[in-house]
Amino acid sequence: MVEGMFILILIIPFALTIYISFLRWRANRPFEQAYLSGLRNYESVIADSGFWDSLGRTFYFAGAAVVFELIIGFFLALMVHQITRGRRFYITILLIPMMVVPVVAGYNFSMIYLDSGPLNQILAPGLNLFDINPRIRWLSNPIAAQWAIILADIWQWTSLTFLIFLSGFSALPPQLINAARVMGASRRQTFFWVELPLLKPAIVIAVVIRSMEALKMFDPVVLLTFGGPGTSTQTVAYYLWEQVWQFNKYSFGAAASIMLLIIFSVLIFFGIYLIGRQGKAIERGEA
Amino acid sequence: MSTDAKQALQIANRRRWRRTVVRHSILIGWGLIIMFPIFWMIQTSFKDAHEWVTWPPHWVPQDPTLKNYEQIFTFDVQQSGVAREATEQPFNIWGAVADSLIICTTSALIALFMGAFLAYGISRFNVGGGKFRHSVLIIRMIPPIVIAIPLLMYYAIMVPLASETVLGFRLSLFDTQFGMSLLYITITLPFVIWMMLSFIDEVPYTLEHAARIMGAGRLYTLRRVVLPLVASGMVVTFLFVFILNWAEFLLSLTLTHPDVSTLPVLLNKFQSASEGRLYGPQAAIGTVITIPVVVLGVLIQKHLIKGFSFGTIRK
Amino acid sequence: MAQIGLMEVVKKFGDFVAVNGVSLDVHDGEFLILVGPSGCGKTTTLNMISGLESPTSGEIIIGNRVVNDIEPGERGLGMVFQDLALFPHMTVFENIAFGLRVKKTLEPDIDRQVRAAAEAMHILPLLDKRPAQCSGGESQRVALARTIVNDPSVFLMDEPLSSLDAKLRVDMRTELKALHERLNATFVYVTHDQAEAMTMADRIVVMNGGLVEQIGGPLDIYDKPASRFVAGFFGTPTMNFLQGEIVAANGALTFQCEHIEHFLAENTPDSLAGKQVILGVRSEHVVVNSGGQQGQVKLIEPLGDVSLVFFESGGQEQLVAKVAPELRFSSGDQLTFGFQAAKCHLFDFDSGTRLN
Repeated sequence: MVEGMFILILIIPFALTIYISFLRWRANRPFEQAYLSGLRNYESVIADSGFWDSLGRTFYFAGAAVVFELIIGFFLALMVHQITRGRRFYITILLIPMMVVPVVAGYNFSMIYLDSGPLNQILAPGLNLFDINPRIRWLSNPIAAQWAIILADIWQWTSLTFLIFLSGFSALPPQLINAARVMGASRRQTFFWVELPLLKPAIVIAVVIRSMEALKMFDPVVLLTFGGPGTSTQTVAYYLWEQVWQFNKYSFGAAASIMLLIIFSVLIFFGIYLIGRQGKAIERGEA
Repeated sequence: MSTDAKQALQIANRRRWRRTVVRHSILIGWGLIIMFPIFWMIQTSFKDAHEWVTWPPHWVPQDPTLKNYEQIFTFDVQQSGVAREATEQPFNIWGAVADSLIICTTSALIALFMGAFLAYGISRFNVGGGKFRHSVLIIRMIPPIVIAIPLLMYYAIMVPLASETVLGFRLSLFDTQFGMSLLYITITLPFVIWMMLSFIDEVPYTLEHAARIMGAGRLYTLRRVVLPLVASGMVVTFLFVFILNWAEFLLSLTLTHPDVSTLPVLLNKFQSASEGRLYGPQAAIGTVITIPVVVLGVLIQKHLIKGFSFGTIRK
Repeated sequence: MAQIGLMEVVKKFGDFVAVNGVSLDVHDGEFLILVGPSGCGKTTTLNMISGLESPTSGEIIIGNRVVNDIEPGERGLGMVFQDLALFPHMTVFENIAFGLRVKKTLEPDIDRQVRAAAEAMHILPLLDKRPAQCSGGESQRVALARTIVNDPSVFLMDEPLSSLDAKLRVDMRTELKALHERLNATFVYVTHDQAEAMTMADRIVVMNGGLVEQIGGPLDIYDKPASRFVAGFFGTPTMNFLQGEIVAANGALTFQCEHIEHFLAENTPDSLAGKQVILGVRSEHVVVNSGGQQGQVKLIEPLGDVSLVFFESGGQEQLVAKVAPELRFSSGDQLTFGFQAAKCHLFDFDSGTRLN
């Protein structure tokens, strides 16, 4: 029965999309007037620099964000793992950003990035030293706007990598570490030779999961920058949204989303393969 | 102890103390960074229009006001003191609250029951084969935009067309609570199954065997033996899915207008690229959206931790 | 009259054959134990008797009727599981009362019967507690009380003592045996522990690889094992095994292997001459300081009432002998040994079945 539901909701629309992607159709013409036009839509998608630019940008954003999230999350988890008191407290606090509705997070940062916002206020003393006007309009500068989005993502999702790493740390068998210590390994050696390899599954999982999610970046873009200035912060999700909902290029959007699906499927399968390998390694007792 | 040893111990203790201080300060520092945007939003929600974009910005409203909250909570649009007619949207929040609540709750409930049922089947009878367990999550990995476009076509065009020819009247799923709920159920089902699976797996099947030997039927066993033991799991799953639905933005943005609006969509309506934003009401809405979810999230926190362990915790 | 019967019962899981044609009878009121190594099919067999699994082919008979299609709850059985399967969210009282509640017994009757069962198992003070608050031994008794209260004619037990520590296990063994006497019911018990089987059973069913190797009383199985497997499974330390040939010489049969030549008992069938066999002899039937074989001591384990002497003959097989504690040996000593011929067991080299 559930399969039935899946089919109803997902598969049929897909079939439909594939059909539409072969049509030539725009919103100002009712559906009935659309006609088949072969691979033309796909050609226009492939030729469309906007599509590829936004795709590349999406990877760039995701990559930058995930790298920072991994490093900071790892570091935070290490800290929390090592302190003895107040763990519950820190964990509670550190987990909150994950629960904030992403839209709201986007909005929050839109306030903070205002040229008259607190960010500039905090940076003001430093900026004044260099004779820079502290009222920086972050969102008007392409590169700054990009990093604004990336920072928003980092703010929110570091909690997730933190969580994964923390449970990884908690799962480290103390006997292994003790054994290393007894054999004379220093803190450093123990960390790099024993603990880090044991954390490999957690690291892989964190990377894969976070990357997949980061590639979908949408909410902050809509709330913060509207893809601007110009097109510098358009992620591929935003770009497609714009094409279909603002410009009503339906068949273009259909073709583009099919292409996107194919691209993502490759990534998804790769990701699953990686995670599955870690799972098997754990079961075999290797990791 | 010799004085040398005593000194060494003191130095070691001091070093340890320093390290602890460093760790705590880092954590507190990051904690402040975390809380800052939320704090900012809450305090903005109490600011009147003239305080929104001052320089330097006010960290605490100098003229705190409840006007933003009044504005969004009133039924009567005319009453709003700060009218920015450019956006032409209804200001009050009740509609969106209703929509969000209805959609999120019903989707979560239905998904919960369907998913729990399925999860039981997978756990006890291996429905769907061995792979099914892990492949359920694959659905979640697809970017929603990829399904938003087809769904738009489907909801707004196909279904009306089909229903018109078959049933004789035009039925559309676009911009309906029903359509959204259906969609939400489908995309959260994998999560429900995954979470309920882990809860059901924790109930040893020998309990059901024992009940069966003593003459209990399947339904009786489910009701008296299994259900009490997974009840808390069901609550956690429900809350988790509810939070997921509550925060969902892309799909509700794309598939509803203008009748149905979930809260995130409403937030978005208070701004546009050309007219700027109404920061105050946005902050108020943001606060309303966020607070319940954060509270719920903290409550189910322990289970989230367990769930995200992904087997990195080895028994 | 057998109360439970299994006729050519087979159970397959896909291609895997867990139970490969088992037939046995359980006598009314006896304590029958299914014993064997992990994976031998004993638990599956028990599950088929209880109805939790259905046989792929063959019949299960309880009383006089074929019960293959009858629900577990209607077979009049009680079962105790390895993990005890106590409902954690119910009190001890409610656990015990479960079966009665299912049958819609009236409350006052439930109360009476539960208390009676609890008293019989000495757990009256625990009635309001949760299973998590009970110790291992107490939980055992709760599980038993829960089974008793439903007044079954047959008790099935799946390794119930394996989760207990050693001392508790020994105590519970005695209690179970006493319970069996008191109730005069039929017990079918599964375990992998041969010591448990020996101490508690009226009859033992030895299983291996889905098949029954031997059925008999404990001492029968010990003294006359039907196969090399059974011989090696029972007895501590494990029986000594030597691989060799039977040679006829001067009208008598001897067993020969590399450095050992030993005469065999007179009643050994002549047809065995020339066969490849495995000779089995228990450590208590190895005689030292007499007999014609030479050996060198490797290790001594003094147990107090006896000593175990591990020795090698001709650098080949390592053998164990149980000797009186007064005999002191040291590692490296030379000794002479022999076997009590009447107590030697001969098994076919290929099939492992008993030959004498």
